Order: sequence, then C-alpha cells, then structure tokens
Amino acid sequence: RPRPDVVLPPGTHLLFAQSGRIDHIPLEAYNMKKQDAKAVLHLPGKAIIGVAYDCMEKMVYWTEISSPSISKASIDGGEPTAVITSDLSSPEGIAVDHLGRTMFWTDSVADRIEVASLDGTQRRVLIDTDLVNPRAIVTDPINGNLYWADWNREAPKIETSYMDGSNRRLLVQSELGLPNALTYDSQSSLLCWADAGTHKMECMNPGRAQRSTVLEGLQYPFGITTFGKNLYYTDWQRDAVVEVDQYAGKESDEFQPQKRTNIYGITTAYAQCLPGQNYCSVN
Amino acid sequence: DATQGAAGDCRPCPCPGGATCAVVPKTREVVCTNCPAGTTGKRCELCDDGFFGDPLGQNGPARPCRSCQCSNNIDPNAVGNCNRETGECLKCIYNTDGFFCDRCKAGFFGDPHASNPAEKCAACSCSPLGTVDQQTSCSPVTGQCQCLPNVDERDCSACQLGFFNLQSGNGCEECNCNPIGSTS
Repeated sequence: RPRPDVVLPPGTHLLFAQSGRIDHIPLEAYNMKKQDAKAVLHLPGKAIIGVAYDCMEKMVYWTEISSPSISKASIDGGEPTAVITSDLSSPEGIAVDHLGRTMFWTDSVADRIEVASLDGTQRRVLIDTDLVNPRAIVTDPINGNLYWADWNREAPKIETSYMDGSNRRLLVQSELGLPNALTYDSQSSLLCWADAGTHKMECMNPGRAQRSTVLEGLQYPFGITTFGKNLYYTDWQRDAVVEVDQYAGKESDEFQPQKRTNIYGITTAYAQCLPGQNYCSVN
Repeated sequence: DATQGAAGDCRPCPCPGGATCAVVPKTREVVCTNCPAGTTGKRCELCDDGFFGDPLGQNGPARPCRSCQCSNNIDPNAVGNCNRETGECLKCIYNTDGFFCDRCKAGFFGDPHASNPAEKCAACSCSPLGTVDQQTSCSPVTGQCQCLPNVDERDCSACQLGFFNLQSGNGCEECNCNPIGSTS
C-alpha cells in the first residue's frame, strides 16, 4: 500500500504534478527507476500546475490554481506550507534561484511575472507588459538570467531578462506554436523547449542564438526538465513522462502513472546544488 | 495502520470504485490515491482540472465529471478553464464573458456562438462625441451605441440628415437652412 509523504532516498529525482499529488521518479545513471516511482505529496483537491525545486533546503515549491496559491514542502517529509496566497489569479510556471534565495512565477490571468523571497516576503512585480499567456519560467542562477515563454497563439515567444526584470529581450519568436515547456541546463548552457503547436523539441544557447531541433513529432508537451544527457517532458496526450536523449535525438523511455489524467509541471530535484554564486547571493 | 494495534485495525478504503487509499502520517488523514478516471480529491469527490461535476452527489444529485462547457470560447491549452464543481467558465476568450462564455463582454457586441472567431464579438467603438455620457458599451446583440439627440449610425458617429455640429458633444443641431436657397 503506497504511503504518501515519503522521505525521498538520496540521489536525483524527477518531481512532477498530477491531479492533486506530486510524484517522484528516482534517476539512476540518467535512467528512470520507474518501479520506484511514487507519491511524494498528496494534496487532494488541489490543481497543481508548476513545480520547482530548491536544492539548498531540499524543498519542493508548487503553484496551485483551485484556490490560487504558492506552497512549499520539504522532500524529506515536511508539511506543506503556503507561502503566497493573495493577489494570485492563475499562477502557472515557477522557478527558484537557489543562490539568490528567491522564486519567480508567471500568472496567466494577471499577465505578469513576479518575484519574492522563498519565504514569500519581498514580493515584487517584475514584468507586467506585453504578456498574454505566460506559462513556463526558468532561471539561470549563475549568470543571473531569467527565461520565460508566452504561448499567446497570435504571437508566441520566448523572452529573457536579468533577474531584476531589466534588460528584457525577445529571444525566439519565429516558428513557435504553443511553447508550453521550457528548461535551462546550467552545465551545457542550453535553453530547451517543447512546443505543443509545432510538436517540436528545440534547444539553443541563449548567448549564441543558434537553434537546433532535438526531436519532432511530440504529441502534447506541457512541462520539461533536464538532467545530463536527457530531457524529460510531460505529455497531455499520453499522460506520461517521456525521456528524450538529447544527443541521440530520440525518445528513450516513458513512464505512465497508473492514473490516466493530465500531467503538468516537472522539475529535477538534484542530489546536490551545482556550485556557484551570483550577485544576489553575495549582496 | 497495520504496523501497530489489533486485528481489525485495517478498514476498507472509503473510496469509490475500489480506489486505493493511504494515511498521511502526520495528520492521520485518509486520502484516496487512485480515484476513478476524471476524479480527484480526498474521497474522489472532485473533478480533474478541465472538468466539472459532482461525482459523489455531495450537493444534490450526482453529476459525473464532464469537460468544461464554454461555448467553444476557451483555449484547450489553458489550465483552470472552469470551476470544477459549478462549471462556471473562468477563462473566456474572443472577447466573450458569462457563466458559459455565452455573451460578449462589456464594450463588445456580436454572436459569441459564431463558428469563426473573427465573427464573434467586436468592439463597440462608440464615438465619444456622439454617445450619451461617452459610454463605451453598446447593445450586446446589435452593437447600437446610445446616441445623443439627433445623432445617427450604430456607433453614433454622424448627425442625422438635416443636422450638424457633432463636435459640440451635446448632440446635433438642426441646420435650419432656408428651403428656398438650399438644394436639400
């Protein structure tokens, strides 16, 4: 009988949201240990959309839209705690800057991007112009960059700014459909996205602005995360977590939970933080 | 909890359709872990995101979960399109509004049920000079703005025949042309 709120064993895991729960899949040498997948948190009645992980305090953060809020819990078996409950309409993507101890999120009804300390204080609106359907958001803590995608059907785009919202720039706007999913890999410096409109998975080095297609023929990607050579995305059509070898450019595995319903956000819970510091962590 | 206690401590899960359950260690709360398709919640009493209903009939007769009914005026790529219990549409698009996205939002008019999004709801665009109190809303069906005296057109942008001075902002005045010296 599965017990909820399990203590995660050491190592790196995938965390993903599905219908009132956050599940984990242990990763071993880049492979999903599917037989060990189970719930980390039962949040019955909640509609969880985005998940993010703080490698320093080993906390999972998530956005929830049924009573719009942002909450956190320790993956070592802690109680869920709400950190932001006011002035949220449809919080979707969430990202953590583990160095600056801040979190960023998108709100697709308020059409803005906000930032706050991980305890919910020092909240501030970073971006509130030219956003229509902002969803995915990711951080590059070491270089102090923020990336987000807006799936506005009229003009989908991927944008970037510094973590204080300044130096906002358009990164990708051509040949996008519904860029639901975005992830940034600090080790390879690659920004990758999965698009439910073009059905493609693509990557680029944001500094070089050179795009390359990893895989075509995706069905309905919603969330994506990265670990080493692999990208993992959630698929609304297959109700599965799909593993893609980004260098081989092919699907290498899939995990389909017992429950057949949409899977939303996904993130990598690293065993350890990658070394580094940024301006906010020293000032 | 079978790890301590007596025989009979294990009880059947209080979940529909034979769903499994578990006990949250801290709160001792029992939650269903594999609710039937489309349902969720502690007792599988709620519908999944994108669906609405009352699967256990907690508020009246049971209503199975079905997908949000929003007059084709929601985007399937959006989340939280309707209230999971009442079905109230929460993310109407194409300038529509209402419980089922079945009317044009304030300041727009047309047919929210038109199949082509471009023909659904258009902006009233009432002419501020010719409209009562410079209102921005119009008849949701015909689009007629409420015109000042002697002002014409759907958007109140012109004087009626024989009237002038829309610019006044108080309606149009009669031309009072001498019928002998005028062509019309």
